[in-house]
Amino acid sequence: MNLSVELAPKHKPGLRLANPVMTAAGTFGYGTEYSHLFDIQRLGAIVCKGTTLEPREGNPQPRLVETASGLLNSIGLQNIGVRALLEEKAPVWAGWRVPVIVNIAGEKVEDYAQLAHELDGAAGISGLEVNISCPNVKAGGAEFGTSPEPAARVTAAVKAATSLPIIVKLTPNTGEIVKVALAVAQAGADAIALINTVRGMAIDIATRRPLLGNKTGGLSGPAIKPIALAMVYEVASAVDVPVIGCGGITSGRDAIEFIMAGASAVQVGTASFQNPRAPLDVLEGIEEFMKKEEIKDIAEIIGAARR
Amino acid sequence: MKQVAAEVISVEQILPGLKRPAARSIAGSWLIRLSCPEIAREARPGQFVMVRCGGELTLPRPFSIHQISGDGIALFFAVWEDGRGTNWLRQKKTGEAVEIFGPLGNGFSIQPSSKNLLLVAGGTGVAPLRFLGQEALGKGCSVTLLLGAATAAQLYPERLLPSLIKLVTATVDGTAGRKGMVTELMPDFAAQADQVFACGPMPMYRDMAAQKRKLRLIGKPVQISLEMRMGCGLGVCYGCTVKTRNGLKQVCKDGPVFELDDILWEELPKS
Ligand SMILES: Cc1cc2nc3c(=O)[nH]c(=O)nc-3n(C[C@H](O)[C@H](O)[C@H](O)COP(=O)(O)OP(=O)(O)OC[C@H]3O[C@@H](n4cnc5c(N)ncnc54)[C@H](O)[C@@H]3O)c2cc1C
Ligand SMILES: Cc1cc2nc3c(=O)[nH]c(=O)nc-3n(C[C@H](O)[C@H](O)[C@H](O)COP(=O)(O)O)c2cc1C
Ligand code: FES
Repeated sequence: MNLSVELAPKHKPGLRLANPVMTAAGTFGYGTEYSHLFDIQRLGAIVCKGTTLEPREGNPQPRLVETASGLLNSIGLQNIGVRALLEEKAPVWAGWRVPVIVNIAGEKVEDYAQLAHELDGAAGISGLEVNISCPNVKAGGAEFGTSPEPAARVTAAVKAATSLPIIVKLTPNTGEIVKVALAVAQAGADAIALINTVRGMAIDIATRRPLLGNKTGGLSGPAIKPIALAMVYEVASAVDVPVIGCGGITSGRDAIEFIMAGASAVQVGTASFQNPRAPLDVLEGIEEFMKKEEIKDIAEIIGAARR
Repeated sequence: MKQVAAEVISVEQILPGLKRPAARSIAGSWLIRLSCPEIAREARPGQFVMVRCGGELTLPRPFSIHQISGDGIALFFAVWEDGRGTNWLRQKKTGEAVEIFGPLGNGFSIQPSSKNLLLVAGGTGVAPLRFLGQEALGKGCSVTLLLGAATAAQLYPERLLPSLIKLVTATVDGTAGRKGMVTELMPDFAAQADQVFACGPMPMYRDMAAQKRKLRLIGKPVQISLEMRMGCGLGVCYGCTVKTRNGLKQVCKDGPVFELDDILWEELPKS
């Protein structure tokens, strides 16, 4: 049974994963935290917490609210910053079999370029995932990823600053997701991941105040799966680079749906909180399905629902 | 740290419900015993476990380890009337499995030189302190537990505590022990204590932090167990971050136990 997938066919040497199951940024830390609980080396790839040039403190509490089949978060990208990542985390990853992809975020195009530059060539890093759901301070705070032009600018800047394969991660908070996908593919994205969290909020009726310290946040978990699936389906039909599906995946069945919609790989996010073994359970679920259906190569079912 | 499917040994209601007009009502308090040798072996007082309360919920629920006995751990938990996780957990039956992972967090630390320990529990806050009291007695310490509740029926039963713990109670309505808040008992006991350990609601900690002189806590090492909304419990999601005098800390990993003085109380949400 062949589960391996190539996520950067246009790149040399590419980004080959032993299997299509990755972890989603911000839900698996730096990978080390889960190594006591299961064999993380069995995963296809690990995507680490979103990383910025300088360490960030994040938003005021409360930062998490559980909703119906979902989770609202307003973490605000708290992270250790790229230098600490290079000093403390990358050397550990260098000894791992599983590839680690660094998720990067910035407020200006130059931030992304500099991050890409600083991470280029570091041992232990196999690729970059560009989070374009961040507010663009220069353009008055709208997310880079909400329209094609700024999204393409970030992508091109990162591409020019690194020799690593790059995945661009799209936000669902736009009416133009296919246009954004086409623009970033054109600008040099080796692969496209989607979706990031869906904007949302919750209100405490007793205090009559928003429940999140930041008032609004991003929704994740099973609640967003149908949204993510439809977007993956549309984007995979439009672009000629591999697509990575993400949003509410908790089981092998969920992952197979994304693969059939056109995803070459999947990312498991919020599901890891409830069940730290979730990424491995997803992988085993995919294997079981392939065995049962006598599928010899995962490629046979990628995009099956579009044919 | 392990993730296991723990078999339920027993589930028992310990305290009745409590209607609270101005706050969230409680359906009662339960004690669940779970068989999980891998976790029981490692656990230290003040640590907690994450419990997966059924497949429908997105997040696991954190509960302090209340007691260790042989291969088992016990959790003592208040069930919120509208709480989805706690209502699920109280309905578990003997022999069923509950998925948990832990032990998590740093736990309390008893200084080797400490002989007299003062434990201060506000309501359900007795949960981690029972385990601590047991451990301290085993080390030869003398342990006093100040236990506070809204009313007599809400006091954690003395029969469930190790008999060597000296118990002093307070109730808000005066139906048992001294009338008032549990913190009002502190001036009479804090002076003799080498260390103070507290667990209770946020207002109790705010009181303690604001009235250190009155409560005789000046210069006293005070450890508290902090409750914060949690996602992962493992230090990965940054959902539980608090500001301390020593920078940002993750309650699940760097806590839940902190020095009272380390927390910047004014930075935290009110409840
Ligand atoms: C480290 C730690 C140890 C704890 N130990 C105990 C214990 O030993 N006994 C006990 O009765 N309770 C304890 N709690 C509180 C307990 O976790 C909550 O009461 C429980 O999560 C409520 O779940 P629910 O689904 O019934 O409530 P819901 O309100 O339906 O839960 C919704 C969400 O809010 C969170 N939440 C609700 N109340 C709290 C709270 N007070 N603190 C943190 N998160 C909350 C839930 O985990 C969940 O994510 C502890 C909390 C923490 C952080
Ligand atoms: C607590 C939390 C933190 C996150 N942090 C990041 C991040 O730093 N960078 C990023 O690109 N996405 C981040 N995400 C989004 C996830 O990677 C993922 O795209 C989203 O949660 C949808 O997938 P899920 O439903 O499986 O969680 C975060 C999500 C959560 C819940
Ligand atoms: S609960 Fe996720 S970091 Fe503490």
